[in-house]
Amino acid sequence: MSTTVPAAAGEVRAEADRQDAPAAAPARRQRMTDRARKERNLGWLLAGPAFVVMLSVTAYPIANAVWYSLFDFRLTDPDGRSFVGLGNYATILSDVLFWRQFGVTAAITVVTVAVEFVLGFALALVMHRALFLRKSVRTAILVPYGIITVVSAYAWQYAFTPAYGFVNPLFGSDLDWFGETVPSLVVICLSEIWKTTPFMSLLLLAGLAQIPSTYIEAAKVDGATAWQRFRKVVVPNMKGAIMVALLFRTLDAFRIFDNVFVMTQGANGTETLSFLAYRQTITRVMIGLGSAVSVILAVLVVLIAFLFIKGFKVNLAEQRGA
Amino acid sequence: MGALGVAATVVAACGGGETSGAPELTWYINNAVQVEIADACNEEAEGAYVLKTSLLPNSAAPQREQLLRRLAAGDTTVDLLSLDPPFMAEFANAGFLRPFTAEEQEELSQGVLEGPLEQSLYEDTMFSAPFYGNTQLLWYKKSVAEEAGLDPAAAPVTWDQVIEAAEQTGTTVGVQGRRNESLMVWVNALVSSAGGSILAEDSQGAAAEDVESALDSEAGAEAARIMSTIANSDIAPAGLSTAGEEESRAAFQADDGGFMVNWPYVWTAFEAAEAAGAVEEGFRDDIAWARYPQVVEGEASATPLGGIGVSIGAYTEHEEAALEAVRCVRSPERQKQNMLTAGEPAASAEVYDDPEVQEAFPMYEAIREGLTDAAPRPISPYYGDVTGVVQQGYHPPDALDEQTTPARTADFLEAVLDGSRML
Amino acid sequence: MSAGRKGQVWWIVGAVLIIVYALVPVAWIVSLSFKAGDDITNRKFWPTEWSFENYLIVFRSDLFTTALRNSVGISLIATTISVVLAMFAAYAVARLEFPGKKLLLSLALAITIFPIIAIATPLFNLWRTVGLYDTWLGLIIPYLSFSLPLSVYVLSAFFREIPWEMEQAAQVDGATPLQAFRKVIVPLAAPGVFTAAILTFFAIWNDFIFGITLTSSEAARPVPAALAFFSGASQFSQPTAPIAAASVIVTIPVVVLVLLFQQKIVAGLTNGAVKG
Repeated sequence: MSTTVPAAAGEVRAEADRQDAPAAAPARRQRMTDRARKERNLGWLLAGPAFVVMLSVTAYPIANAVWYSLFDFRLTDPDGRSFVGLGNYATILSDVLFWRQFGVTAAITVVTVAVEFVLGFALALVMHRALFLRKSVRTAILVPYGIITVVSAYAWQYAFTPAYGFVNPLFGSDLDWFGETVPSLVVICLSEIWKTTPFMSLLLLAGLAQIPSTYIEAAKVDGATAWQRFRKVVVPNMKGAIMVALLFRTLDAFRIFDNVFVMTQGANGTETLSFLAYRQTITRVMIGLGSAVSVILAVLVVLIAFLFIKGFKVNLAEQRGA
Repeated sequence: MGALGVAATVVAACGGGETSGAPELTWYINNAVQVEIADACNEEAEGAYVLKTSLLPNSAAPQREQLLRRLAAGDTTVDLLSLDPPFMAEFANAGFLRPFTAEEQEELSQGVLEGPLEQSLYEDTMFSAPFYGNTQLLWYKKSVAEEAGLDPAAAPVTWDQVIEAAEQTGTTVGVQGRRNESLMVWVNALVSSAGGSILAEDSQGAAAEDVESALDSEAGAEAARIMSTIANSDIAPAGLSTAGEEESRAAFQADDGGFMVNWPYVWTAFEAAEAAGAVEEGFRDDIAWARYPQVVEGEASATPLGGIGVSIGAYTEHEEAALEAVRCVRSPERQKQNMLTAGEPAASAEVYDDPEVQEAFPMYEAIREGLTDAAPRPISPYYGDVTGVVQQGYHPPDALDEQTTPARTADFLEAVLDGSRML
Repeated sequence: MSAGRKGQVWWIVGAVLIIVYALVPVAWIVSLSFKAGDDITNRKFWPTEWSFENYLIVFRSDLFTTALRNSVGISLIATTISVVLAMFAAYAVARLEFPGKKLLLSLALAITIFPIIAIATPLFNLWRTVGLYDTWLGLIIPYLSFSLPLSVYVLSAFFREIPWEMEQAAQVDGATPLQAFRKVIVPLAAPGVFTAAILTFFAIWNDFIFGITLTSSEAARPVPAALAFFSGASQFSQPTAPIAAASVIVTIPVVVLVLLFQQKIVAGLTNGAVKG
């Protein structure tokens, strides 16, 4: 399930704000008044249940995955379980399969996020500027946003399948789309892009709405062309929103699974890292090896997030300065 | 709140069965038609047990995954399961199936055709009672074969002859090139027909790291050669590398369809297609069948083998009742019923003597023959990995190379099983 | 102004293009679902003849109807609990200063970026030992964990916007704290809660990975998983048209929610990103 949180951007920013005033905190801690204590208790009383629930099915499974990743353990062969240390990691990282699927995953991520960004920006601009049909547009693009990914995958798969689809007759081609790697990946990306561009565009729309119209008017008065206004005024003023949109879509795209599962079952070299983890753990019931793949995937995702947020803070500072 | 209500009724429904006294059995079925078999058995049981059904996903691999996970979880509700025979060894080895006793084994083997029987045994013990068998035949259009001067009905033909005939007549050869179990069936039949095997002879029961592949051989190369010849020729139907059984049938039904290897269910499917007007009336008059093609001229082909066995889950709480239910399900009467309703060939020889069956399946002799001379897929607790590797190594068919494919697949197979590579 | 009007023409063209973009794949799957029998292979966008056959097949199939019941039940229960818990947490985050707040938010952020497939396996192992495998509860619990961050963030963004002073003002005017809360705060907070609920529902309704890894029978299997496992008339046939029909049915709730609450959803998605 996709649980990407657009609103988290606000938090990241708020944290950046907080870091500007670290001196105030210790002082406050020293003089904890009754009121503060009450507030603390109430705070934990209210936030506690959510905290516990969030932790309950994440902390243990994560620790469990890390632990199992150190074993050679096949579910159908419980007696053959043995401790192999970092052996599974060595196997994975030295396997060409892993790197190929890393490449496929990275390619899908880069292509979809790039296309979605351009397309999403266009959508956002239309939604922002069109006076008529604005409501219809917003309603229409929410349909791909809300639709089940599996359904989207089927719709696109059938459209391109030679036996069922209208796409080949439309272009007079007889390409067997799911018979080769690149065409399969193209359709997978199309489905992914169709379904998630609306999300990207809504985040960008939020950024657009944030730009004071006086800036744009001023640029107009100065004789800037539409392109200049876009580059020099619009983009710099919504850097925060852009980064949030890119970050969350990148993390989501990197974890792509549903589309691949439905369309190719991983055939023709279309496997992604999530699929690799699925195959080892669920299909092959190699719990140890699969857990290690999962851990590596998690580390990669955290790494991407970390790199983004690192760059992000800088941008935010610039944005505040503007 | 409505949703909670639903939850409550579900729970109530689950608990309700126990009060009636008769043990309630769940049978995980692989085809919705088996509901009718369960109904018939319930009637026959007269309250000795209540057999309920739960439908599994539609293809072999997810069926295995579902059952495997359920049994790994020690699920006591898995009383009966319809199991694809190649996966039986894995389940048996893990202790997920209740083995049949020697006595039961003898009883359940009686009159069973060789192929289905062979694939129901793991290390000489029966873990699945043969319920139905399946085998592929060569289907062809009489007009096309005649034009090419080929008569598969008179004497067995080879793949090369079929290929040549199709090329000559500008028709297609329907085969299953999709990367799933159907591809494995094709590869295994080709390799076995050429006198080879996928696993080395003493590897069938070996520990994972000791398993050796026999694919890097003449037979493995022949399989690659035939597959790539078809895939790279004009006789390949469009979308060969994603074609399963139904796509093959569609290609065969098309005007330029000439030959096809497929399971006998296609016969009833042709009939339905005629009724629906998808093919012209009398389409079947031009259709004939023959034994699966040979790889080496003069050497009998090893026919592909499929089917389903009925096993008892190791964690069932109603062992006796489950055994009774298995007896009923695999009885020749039920096998006949299943053959007529689902189109799945019976595993027991006597069913083929039934006039009703002979009328519905004019090719009954070819089926019986196919089930007798069949080559089961490798019997190994690691079959899941074996088939996964072969499906990768021999796919897509148009990229196969008789020089490199067999060795590469064999090496990959051994590396995956000894844990040095991932699948 | 005339230049602006001319510009508007282009914006409208753009708007129409977007609507086409968004709806063509949906129209396609709808069209597929009305193709009966072999019409599915007509390779045209529209059916030669419109037929309800596939819908009958789907509704006669236990696999789909039980999955639909599972999905609706599980999604509603999980959404309700998630939003209630998130409401408390978001209030604390938006209104109170307490140690550990940052930890809470970091945890939530960590959960949203963690690959679900990485959780699925250990959770499968855990569930089969404690007996939650293939049960409603076995899905509801992970859905809660993974939807809570979303709800907490959306709600805290909303709660920050509420002019809480009005509560005190109402109390000054003689209302009891409870009255003040009910009459003043609840109406202001309700739209946010509502938005969070819809977005949470979408996320849970869409889940696939938990659906296929934590279930193995109709006892708990949700719709997206059932769709991928749908079987056809024969063992070998691909049930393309019935899958299309089932897809249309499960898309209806999404479309209805979108039509009814378009503005709220957009606000919920964009609110936090800009305002924080």
